[in-house]
Amino acid sequence: MVVGTKARMDDAINAFYSEKVIHVIDHTTGDDGLSIGTSNTGVSKASERLLKIRTLEKELGIKKRTLTEDIAVEDVRERIEAGDVETVEKEILSVVDKRNGLTQLISELNAKKETLGLLSKLPLTLDFYSGYRSISVLVGTTTADPATLNLDAEIFAYFNGKIRQGVVAVFFRNDSRDKVSAALSEIGFTEIQVPSSDPLSPADEVVKIDAAVAQAIEDLDKAEVELLELKVKHRSFLKGTDEELAIQVEKGSVPLRLAVSKYSYIMDAWVPTSKVEEVKKHLEEKLGDDVHVEVMEERSRSMEDSEAQEPRFQKVPTKTTNGKVVSEFEYATNLVSRPKYQEIDPTVFIMIFLPIFFGIMVGDVGYAIPFIILGGYGLNKTQNKDWRSIALVLFLGGIWAALFGAFFYGEMLGMHFVGGHYEAGEWIWYHDNVAMSEITNGTAVTWDWLLGEHFPEWFCNMIGHVNPDGTHTGVGKLEDVAFLLKLSVYIGLCHLFVGHMCGLYNKKIQHGFKHAFIEKGGVVLSFFGIIFLCFGLTDFMFNKADITEGLAFYTLVIGIVLLVIGTVINAKAEGALQAILGLPEHIGQILSYTRLAAIGMSKAGMALAFNYIVFSMVMSTSVNAAGIVEFDPLAAPVMLILGIVMFCFLHLVIWTLAILSAGIHSLRLQFVELMMRFFDGGGEEFKPLKEARSKTFFKNKISNINEV
Amino acid sequence: MDASQAGLVAIGAGLAVGLAGIGAGLGEKDIGAAAVGAITEDGSLFGKGMIFTVMPETIVIFGLVIAIMALFVL
Repeated sequence: MVVGTKARMDDAINAFYSEKVIHVIDHTTGDDGLSIGTSNTGVSKASERLLKIRTLEKELGIKKRTLTEDIAVEDVRERIEAGDVETVEKEILSVVDKRNGLTQLISELNAKKETLGLLSKLPLTLDFYSGYRSISVLVGTTTADPATLNLDAEIFAYFNGKIRQGVVAVFFRNDSRDKVSAALSEIGFTEIQVPSSDPLSPADEVVKIDAAVAQAIEDLDKAEVELLELKVKHRSFLKGTDEELAIQVEKGSVPLRLAVSKYSYIMDAWVPTSKVEEVKKHLEEKLGDDVHVEVMEERSRSMEDSEAQEPRFQKVPTKTTNGKVVSEFEYATNLVSRPKYQEIDPTVFIMIFLPIFFGIMVGDVGYAIPFIILGGYGLNKTQNKDWRSIALVLFLGGIWAALFGAFFYGEMLGMHFVGGHYEAGEWIWYHDNVAMSEITNGTAVTWDWLLGEHFPEWFCNMIGHVNPDGTHTGVGKLEDVAFLLKLSVYIGLCHLFVGHMCGLYNKKIQHGFKHAFIEKGGVVLSFFGIIFLCFGLTDFMFNKADITEGLAFYTLVIGIVLLVIGTVINAKAEGALQAILGLPEHIGQILSYTRLAAIGMSKAGMALAFNYIVFSMVMSTSVNAAGIVEFDPLAAPVMLILGIVMFCFLHLVIWTLAILSAGIHSLRLQFVELMMRFFDGGGEEFKPLKEARSKTFFKNKISNINEV
Repeated sequence: MDASQAGLVAIGAGLAVGLAGIGAGLGEKDIGAAAVGAITEDGSLFGKGMIFTVMPETIVIFGLVIAIMALFVL
């Protein structure tokens, strides 16, 4: 809490801003006899000027992203004080007015020209249309020839024949005006004004107008050039002033958030615990006896402490302390909600697991490289926070996908690197009429078959998964299904374990360990119970293990014991029915991770089909003497080109699907499976008072800090 | 496994994934429509909307797993 004299409120606000860690709690009028402050005297002037500046920026086409040179704050302030805003406004607006006038003139002249174009169809010069005493003239367009109306008048008319609209000039006596205009209105008469009364033919008048338009356009171009010059001349001042005035207005409005009495103001604010002493010292140094800073409390992360406070002090703003890379992922966390003060920020887990899951699901060097390039390009180019986080996911996810693709799956563009079969000192590839090769445990189309050459041993040895015959092929997404499913379940268990532990920890800091154990301990125990139980049961069902002895028996017993204890604790916390209904959820959550394998499979399946089409059906293959199919694309060059085009297009389809499916599903596993275990959200962002300067700078850094 | 048995396994796998997909689709349809409505009102609800929308989709994964197991594992 800061109390100070109103006389030095402006200085105080400047001091608050220079600390950059003061998050003001808005004062609400209560029964404490204090009212909300009023904004500073200068604010209305500043906001009026700000409005002017923004109008000028709009006129000159200076946008938020327009690059301008930075400008010193001192210069800006001096120029604002000297009334430069008004001078510049006058200078720019005079040119803008000129330009607008010219644009209007041009459009008027063009309208005139159009009218004259119509009149030129009639055999009269312009002076014929006016200057009579007893005769009136009506000139206009109609949809039918007025000659059919039998009017007592002299009529000049022009009809094109094709177009149902003609030009007419009707000369009649003054006293028959009503009759004539009534008759004309029946044939859709619309009057036009004759623009001039010079004794000229309309065509000559058009020539005159054309000259005037040309002159106006020339002037307009000059005005545009002038505006462009003004833009270059003033843009950095305008942007700098925009920024400075915006800050002045913001600062001037701070009193609206404080409580004031007749001679003093009171500010309640949150300051990070580590900065409290520093802030207090700085404020007292700068404002001396005119301020009193008091530390009211250091809020613990226990929920009870917060709930005991009056409403406006209950919510503590959350300041995240993530590093540069992790903070890019805050966007993902904030999509769900901002973490509150009393819980763990899940951003770091998202940052670790999201790219890994993405990598497992994509798991292909060929798709990974464009991801890395795209992500890297995005990180380089965009400053937008949302796009940056997406680019970072693509970049990191791409790296993981490349690692998994190269060393785990041994795959590029849906094809294994290695697929050959070593026989009698020679590498042989069998690719008959089947898509799936039973001999090599790999997909039929492989890179070494395409290249007709086996990869060197050192390269093959880097790829995981050793076959019984000693060759390395990598894990087949479509062949080693059972292994991949098991692997994804185990990954899921680790992920969920992290989630449950965070849940336990959150409850511990919020309500203490005992409460945490009752609320979350039961869940964790039944989670482990389910794991052991399922392990025992699957061992029994799939491996036909004897359930009355050995590993299956022990895991089953441990599982049941943990499950019972967990359910009992849960029943105490949430009621028996809730506890029992909650049990199948664990299985659902664990099995949800099988999507890691399933999505990899679905893409591998598509890639397999596409590659088979391209390389075995479109491109040319030949059978050699030993009955082995060899890849021989050069035999049919047209098919080779067609095949390459198809190959690129089809894999682009898979690649696009990979962004969607792998991206959304890995995000979902974080949001639903992980964060639902512990995350409440609903926090308020820590928004300290600070000047957001990007176009202006202080000439003298020291003067900034001591500035009061 | 002879051909007719293999055919039945394939039909079973297809049913598992297909019916699960239809069910999840029906579930997601309503949630998705509501979520889009909510996001239009308030963009910050995107994350929550997405969580609710993808919730029924786990069922498809179960169907897919059963299909995969029927085809490749069992």
